Amino acid sequence: MCPYCDFAKWAWDDARASRYLDALRAEMSSVPAVSARTLFFGGGTPSMYTPEIIGSLIADVRARFDLPADAEVTAEANPDPLLAARISGLSAAGVNRLSIGVQSFDPRELRVLGRRHTGADVERAVGAAREAGYANVSIDLIFAVPGQTEASWAASLDAAIALGVVHVSCYGLTIEEGTPYATWFARDPSAFADESREAAMYSLAIERLRAAGFEHYEISNWAKPGFRSQHNQLYWANESYLGLGVGAASYLGGVRSTHTRDLEAYCGAALAGEPIPGESERLEGAAQAGEAIMLALRTAEGVDLERFRERYGIDVHERYRKVVGDLVAAGVLVADGAGLRLTERGRFVANDVCGAFLAD
Amino acid sequence: MIQTESAAAFRGPAHVRNFCIIAHIDHGKTTLSDRLLEFTKTIGQREMEDQMLDAMDLERERGITIKMHPVTLTYTAHDGETYELNFIDTPGHVDFSSEVSRSLAACEGALLVIDAAQGIEAQTLANYHLALAQNLTIIPVINKIDLPAADVPRVKAEIEELLVIEADEAITASAKEGIGIEEILEAIVTRVPPPTGSEDKLRGLVFDAQFDSYRGVVAYIRIVDGELKAGSRFMSMAHRRVYEATEVGVFKPEMRKTGSLGVGNVGYVIANIKSLGDMDVGDTITLADDPAAEALPGYKPIVPMVYCGLYPNEGVEVSELRDALEKLSLNDSALHFEPESSIALGFGFRCGFLGLLHMEIVQERLERNYNLDLIATSPSVGFRVTMTDGHVDTIDNPAKLPARDKIALIEEPYVKATVITPPEYVGTIMELTQNKRGALGNMEYLHDGRVILTYEIPLIEVIVDYFDQLKSRTKGYASLDYEVIGYREGDLVKLEIMLNGEPVDALSFIIAREKAQSRGRALTEKLKELIPRQMFDVPIQAAIGGKIVARETVTAMRKNVLAKCYGGDITRKRKLLEKQKVGKERMKRVGRVDLPQEAFMAVLRLDEP
Repeated sequence: MCPYCDFAKWAWDDARASRYLDALRAEMSSVPAVSARTLFFGGGTPSMYTPEIIGSLIADVRARFDLPADAEVTAEANPDPLLAARISGLSAAGVNRLSIGVQSFDPRELRVLGRRHTGADVERAVGAAREAGYANVSIDLIFAVPGQTEASWAASLDAAIALGVVHVSCYGLTIEEGTPYATWFARDPSAFADESREAAMYSLAIERLRAAGFEHYEISNWAKPGFRSQHNQLYWANESYLGLGVGAASYLGGVRSTHTRDLEAYCGAALAGEPIPGESERLEGAAQAGEAIMLALRTAEGVDLERFRERYGIDVHERYRKVVGDLVAAGVLVADGAGLRLTERGRFVANDVCGAFLAD
Repeated sequence: MIQTESAAAFRGPAHVRNFCIIAHIDHGKTTLSDRLLEFTKTIGQREMEDQMLDAMDLERERGITIKMHPVTLTYTAHDGETYELNFIDTPGHVDFSSEVSRSLAACEGALLVIDAAQGIEAQTLANYHLALAQNLTIIPVINKIDLPAADVPRVKAEIEELLVIEADEAITASAKEGIGIEEILEAIVTRVPPPTGSEDKLRGLVFDAQFDSYRGVVAYIRIVDGELKAGSRFMSMAHRRVYEATEVGVFKPEMRKTGSLGVGNVGYVIANIKSLGDMDVGDTITLADDPAAEALPGYKPIVPMVYCGLYPNEGVEVSELRDALEKLSLNDSALHFEPESSIALGFGFRCGFLGLLHMEIVQERLERNYNLDLIATSPSVGFRVTMTDGHVDTIDNPAKLPARDKIALIEEPYVKATVITPPEYVGTIMELTQNKRGALGNMEYLHDGRVILTYEIPLIEVIVDYFDQLKSRTKGYASLDYEVIGYREGDLVKLEIMLNGEPVDALSFIIAREKAQSRGRALTEKLKELIPRQMFDVPIQAAIGGKIVARETVTAMRKNVLAKCYGGDITRKRKLLEKQKVGKERMKRVGRVDLPQEAFMAVLRLDEP
């Protein structure tokens, strides 16, 4: 398991796997039958179930949530040696977009990241996807990994571009509390890239991917025209979503809620038809608008003035006059008739920019 | 109880003694006070709490007293007579020497407490001289004789040498162990003369005052001549205001009504006085219908010596600060304040204090008792500026200094400082003093090898970290006392700090020309450390008369962005950003730059280069 990741995780065994599947189906049948536009299988789980099982889940979702036939259906996948063999099955199951957790093409960095795959595994998997007819393949990369150099980062970017994928996500390494990386960082912060090296690597990604014809459509996401992630764009547009399964998050009717990360607690509640334990929060007014701005500013299009006025009853120029003025003067924000957007420099310090709009 | 009250009221001057205790800080004044209260059963062991005279927490923490809390002790002496001993406490810090003088003026005698291990220190001498000036009978008490390091013969030699008092007049004591307490009480009765005064026209010295939110001002008085009865109409001689005494009484130590106070008595009067400003400490009261011809000598309005601007930090309303200052000043007539505004900090108050300690105490009280988040600008003194047109003005705020070409002359307050130190530190003290523009006046060797240095030095240099430096350079062995001696011309300039090209008035100060450039350099370097990186480069410049003398840059933050923000992360990520924002809000926004509070303190805390 990844030493840097803080998702809900658990060791696999067949009994648990089948119980979890039952729980998932039970939850699906108990939630409101909202209508869905996209479907996303996240985390390491989809790689662990057979394509047939994934297929049956997709069928269930189509039936219950009115998912259009041409909807984007993404599965996250680890590029382990078995992936190539599964790919045609996934396609048959209805998965039409693959998001592969490559992270790096450098063997040393992969080892540091606790990943078992190799660059050759990635090439095989992407090749198999192409043969299976996949047009929409995305890969994830991580920068600012301990030991990574600007040269090795550039090499990973070039390898990704050379594979011909249409979507790339590049994430600066985040040290999450409670992970082995947090312990490592506490012991030896010098092993990690400092702010200015991380910034240099981010610049490198922006330059290389732009040169290769990608649009930088969100802080950490790049796509060839027409291949942006439909699913993720809904998050940044502050649209509703329904999450199913252990640790899943939903945003329905203005309420953000998260299921427990405890597998047994989740399965127990779902199978008994009881509410899934977890946390929830309802946002209104300025707090909701601030969050919406935080999300929208992550995207290239930014905050749409008209859309904001309609949806939240707020004129962003008027409401945030002082904040906007300061940020524009600092060279991190563009404010015009269309709305608000980060400048390229603003993308480097998006926390400071977005934070300025949050409610007190 | 009734008997005690009337006995106190009608005990004649022959059975009254008024005394105070003076000492260098930490020489044991408070413990001795406690023992005297205990021995005379003025308060029981159980009520003792510890150090009850130092009632305010802050003062207790700092081991000092700044307010006087008089108390009447009843003591039956060896001669079989019962005496009323009025004990008037004095503040123990150089900042409050004007308060000490007023307390002394209400007494005939003083216990001068000297630590048996440390010997005479700078404040021992300063207090001694104040007491001599008031013609008080001085009883030296060598305290802490139980300490292993106690050296009574040495201290006795110092007493003869420095105080010119016969060594055998000194009482050896240990307040901690209760040794010598009775002897001290006997000495008060036998050596301190009883108060003398005429029975004729009332003259009472107001030596302190407190504000009580229910009863108004409680004036602490010492009757010099005549008698003050409850119900009589009296007048404050400085302000010529007339009041009716609704209550008079004594301190036991709590206030106890007596109906009247006669010659030599120490007590209080309550008269429906609304504000401390209406009853100045040091004023004389007399009967409105039968007034005395002349007031008692020694009344001087309190003049602040140290000033700083106090501003509310983000999230604090200026009205909250005003309310708190008003409430504090009800009980602290030495605290002066008036509204001012700063381009950098907005609306606030220019406050005047007796000294640095007084300033720190007021700031801490505002922050702790009133829960206010404040920004204090660097302390200043009152500079006397003569303009080219002959007009003279006192400038207590560097931002208000007129343009150089309009100034004919700047004068600054000087103090006479006395330092007592072991001889090995003389070199470093002289160096420090020279750095601080001080001039050595006198150097004298004591019997025990220690040295007394006196010199004249600008007050502004003393308030900017002189004491801390003196203590650290001498490992705490040197002691300091100072008194203001007047104004002298100085070659002074205004050093301005600019952030992002904009002058920050709250960071500018008046300084000797010879030190301005190196100070400017040190300050820009310090500010570079203190100012967190922002979204853009922040140039920091120091300028004298428009000329840049130092420059640093806080380079822009390179990267601060959350990599992932998807459905499951949104709430958590928002909270993370909110937390970052709260951190920023604790800072003060000056122009577009976020400044931490410490930046404003940097001017003060900066070590001399």
